[in-house]
Amino acid sequence: MIRIVTLSEFPPDVIDHVSRRIHAAYGMGCELEGDGAIPKGAIDDEQSAYDAVKVVDEIDDDVTLYADDKIIYLTKEPLTAPEGPMGRGPVDGYAQYGGGKALATAHGLGEKGMPTLEAGLAKRAAHFVGHLWDLHHCFDPRCAMHPGWSPGFAQYPEVALCLFCREKSERKIKLGST
Amino acid sequence: MASKSQEPLIGDGSLHVGDRVVYPNQGICRITGVSTKQIAGQSWEVVTLSREEDGATVMVPRAKVMGIGLRKVADVAAIDRVFDELASPSNDPQLDWKVRHRENADRMTGGGLFGTVEVLKGLHALSRVRPLPPKERELYDNARHLLVGEIAAAMNIPLHVAEDNLDYALWPPPGMKRKGHVLPPATLGPPAPLRAAGDDDLGFEEDDEAETPAAVPAVAAGNVDEEEEEQEAEKAVPAAAPKPAPAKKPAAPAKKPAPAGKKKTPAAKTHAGKKAPTAKKKAPKAKVKRKK
Repeated sequence: MIRIVTLSEFPPDVIDHVSRRIHAAYGMGCELEGDGAIPKGAIDDEQSAYDAVKVVDEIDDDVTLYADDKIIYLTKEPLTAPEGPMGRGPVDGYAQYGGGKALATAHGLGEKGMPTLEAGLAKRAAHFVGHLWDLHHCFDPRCAMHPGWSPGFAQYPEVALCLFCREKSERKIKLGST
Repeated sequence: MASKSQEPLIGDGSLHVGDRVVYPNQGICRITGVSTKQIAGQSWEVVTLSREEDGATVMVPRAKVMGIGLRKVADVAAIDRVFDELASPSNDPQLDWKVRHRENADRMTGGGLFGTVEVLKGLHALSRVRPLPPKERELYDNARHLLVGEIAAAMNIPLHVAEDNLDYALWPPPGMKRKGHVLPPATLGPPAPLRAAGDDDLGFEEDDEAETPAAVPAVAAGNVDEEEEEQEAEKAVPAAAPKPAPAKKPAAPAKKPAPAGKKKTPAAKTHAGKKAPTAKKKAPKAKVKRKK
């Protein structure tokens, strides 16, 4: 089961769309679990965005997760990530690879050149849930695992997995303990 | 307390128990010890490794440690050079599949950091030109997996941050710089051809009619040999190269009919724990309990 926890206010129809698209992409049940709050300590030094890694690591909730459950947090806040060898780049979420928790933001969606809130958030959520199944980024611009900053994200807003990513996620799901 | 001089010699002496090492094609492992095993009536000294990804135990005969390409995790300077290489303009991809296959297999078996980078970069450049055949797609994913794991281990950063950085070099977002030079923004490769609409009917037509159906690229999978894969990929190029039609239109007529061996993957039907999404109801706030 994939559980959605909102960290900001979202219209119910948006959450409904996101859960349906995730369900369609992975063939797993997906439902809204409730809402929560971003940990205050996760804001970055410049006080302009939240550190996505800290948000996921430090979030303090008590959602009951069973063996293969995954949890996706949705927020509207801007996110950042620790600086890597290439410096800082655009960050629209974070996932614990092969783990249980992921975070996606709706920040920037609906602006010029970006998909609508509904479509964009569904695609981002499906992307980060994919990382929870150990999926890596995909070069197919139509695939949901294509990097979110690529022009393919806006060009193909529908949530779809390429055949390779889909089969890999199915293998991972079948290997799950439940 | 055991000193380093009392430790068993592993490889050329540069490896010690507790070191993080890279096992070719397996990823990051930690050396857990050296022990003697009785195998087929013979006594073998084996180096025991624990794969960090899943905790699997790997045993390597002590005499073969260097031969298989076991090496220490790269240092930060080497990772920096990796990103220089990734961010540099790529050469034309090797189009002869036999040469490409042999070169990539040698690089992956060798287990070198830059060999893996070359495999990833070469296949990435090829994917800009045409969709990869299934086996090369898998090789691309393996190379990416190994590289992400080593970057994360060397830089002590989460895997997700490591992969994002890798792709900032391969698919630079607008304005991304590397050592003062602005990298050219990413261009899209050809999308894989769509499978015929209606193959993955999940029963959402009633309220999703206005939306695009889940589109799944239909690259042939299974037991076709490499040459056939190559030919199929070449045939797929003309179909994929033009700007794809909106997904509302059925894509089937423009495409070659699916071969008999092509398999479908009805994901939703195979999963026992499937549950219909129920997000329309009001959020059950009581389920998320906050701790103080």
